[in-house]
Amino acid sequence: MNRRAFPVRLPPGGIITLVYIAFIALPLIALFVRAVSSYSLWDSLTSDITLTALRLSLVTSLISMIVVVGAGVPIARYLSRRTGPLSRVIDVLIDVPLVLPPVVAGLAMLMAFGRMGILGDALDAAGIRLPFTTAAVILAQIFVSAPFFIRAAKLGFQAVPRELEEISQTLGISPWRTFWRVTLPLAWPSIVGGLALSWARAISEFGATIMFAGNLTGRTQTMPLAILSAMESNVGAALALAVILVAASVIVLFVLALAATRAAVPAGRLE
Amino acid sequence: MSARGWIKHRIGAFSLDVSWDVEPGTVTVLYGPSGAGKSLTLRAIAGLVRLDEGRIELDGSVVFDHEAGLWIPPHHRRVGLMPQEYGLFPHLTVAANIAYGAHDPDSHARAAELTRTLDLQELQQRRIWQLSGGQRQRVALARALAAQPRVLLLDEPFASLDSELRRAVRQEIRQVLTASHVPVILVTHDAEEALALADHVQIIDSGRIVAEGDPVTTLRQPPAPRIARLAGVENLLRMRVARLQPEDGAMLCETLESPPLTLETPLAEAREGDVVTVGIRSSDVILASSEPQGLSARNVFAGTVASIEPRSPGHDVTVNCGAGLSLVSHVTRHAITQLGINEGTRMWAVVKASSCFLLSED
Repeated sequence: MNRRAFPVRLPPGGIITLVYIAFIALPLIALFVRAVSSYSLWDSLTSDITLTALRLSLVTSLISMIVVVGAGVPIARYLSRRTGPLSRVIDVLIDVPLVLPPVVAGLAMLMAFGRMGILGDALDAAGIRLPFTTAAVILAQIFVSAPFFIRAAKLGFQAVPRELEEISQTLGISPWRTFWRVTLPLAWPSIVGGLALSWARAISEFGATIMFAGNLTGRTQTMPLAILSAMESNVGAALALAVILVAASVIVLFVLALAATRAAVPAGRLE
Repeated sequence: MSARGWIKHRIGAFSLDVSWDVEPGTVTVLYGPSGAGKSLTLRAIAGLVRLDEGRIELDGSVVFDHEAGLWIPPHHRRVGLMPQEYGLFPHLTVAANIAYGAHDPDSHARAAELTRTLDLQELQQRRIWQLSGGQRQRVALARALAAQPRVLLLDEPFASLDSELRRAVRQEIRQVLTASHVPVILVTHDAEEALALADHVQIIDSGRIVAEGDPVTTLRQPPAPRIARLAGVENLLRMRVARLQPEDGAMLCETLESPPLTLETPLAEAREGDVVTVGIRSSDVILASSEPQGLSARNVFAGTVASIEPRSPGHDVTVNCGAGLSLVSHVTRHAITQLGINEGTRMWAVVKASSCFLLSED
């Protein structure tokens, strides 16, 4: 008998990969199956609480991403050109939010910007009150998600050969225009990839938000918080929210993936 | 439109001290080993290095003068820099690469003209990774010239081409350069390339120009052993001057071992008994498989083949002639098979007296 007749002969790594994929896929499938089989799915999907939370999540994460990209690109570009002990320290500091438990991040932000926080009096005097506002939601999202973007964008900028930027300048193109015509297009896939990761982190933000911004419907109750609240009364509603969150994430990631394929240079062709 | 200047610059223990004066439409070759400061010089002229001291003038306008505190940034210098790997933009097509620096209808027309001259029309919509090495080189040259540079700086322009292609494109490139009426500074560590392309040669070593002049004199018969080694004079022989023959314009040199072998060389400034270094290019040493008769060449040595080393475009054959004399001859692969050259084969090495030259000590 032909030993190859049995179509799949997997090495150990392959088997473990399959088990892992099942482990990831099963809960997601279960989520959809349960959501679809719940009677009140449509009502839950279109309920006020759901739509309000969805809108708040999308708006806050959009604003967060504008800030993250607007500040992150110059930061990443700056760090990509620096070497030496100081920039190593800065690198580590920028990565701190990645390893900080979100709840701790939220508590820390409260201690800084809260009423009793270090800047509390100063902010109060200026008439600014941050905790338990939509602004606090955005700040929490920026805090936890920016490192993902800065990291990826920095690697992207570092991969752009310095020589190409120099050549561009010898051809009469100023450093500023060189950035737009050479550096940014070549770093584009990394930037979009970083944006996708960063946005995914922002939209799923929970711990820091609940500590720093609370859980107020319409003001600070984003999708993840709404799911938690719904679980207390109505599992069906929680499932509906979860399905929407997954769908919204998939759509955004898909759009970003499309944007990344706009990349001008196929992988491995740089240089 | 000419390019002239001088610079002094220190980086740690390395110091650069060079000057140049290049007429439009001529090629000055900066020749030397790697690490001599050749690329650094080009980068300095382009404005990519902040220099300690110097003055750089392009087409009559000063772009750097440390005394006046003047430093024009690269994008206002109008220099065409072509780096070793060409530095083409991978995210742009060939056409977009060539027109990259074009900013007015005039320069766009020039880009189109260069595309025709360098035979790139068919490739315009290609991406860089779809091009061969020779095509990349032509695109890079077109791009540099399209920006109407006041000086063209070529860093090892043929280094990433294979040797056959290198020879083929050299003349073509030479013509384009001359026709462009731009002063050209070309960096290379290949003596053959320097000879083929240069109007003027500067030999640079450890950041200093150690010799300069017309290419044939400077490279064929370099003045000092150190430069000879740089310039690829493969035979450097330590010999004693045995007899001067001013009436023949010749002199006889002996190897230092006894009994010595005698080599006839052109008369040079030396006294009998002086120990000198005689240089002979390996391409000037002829091999014969039987003892040659009736030759005009003055020097014929019998010996055995000690080694055969491939070196593009042929092979270096070392013949050991005894008495401390071994000669390296550069021959084609064809000659090796035809003469049946193997290690240990008995051969005769033939050298014309006029191919030998004396090197002054450093």
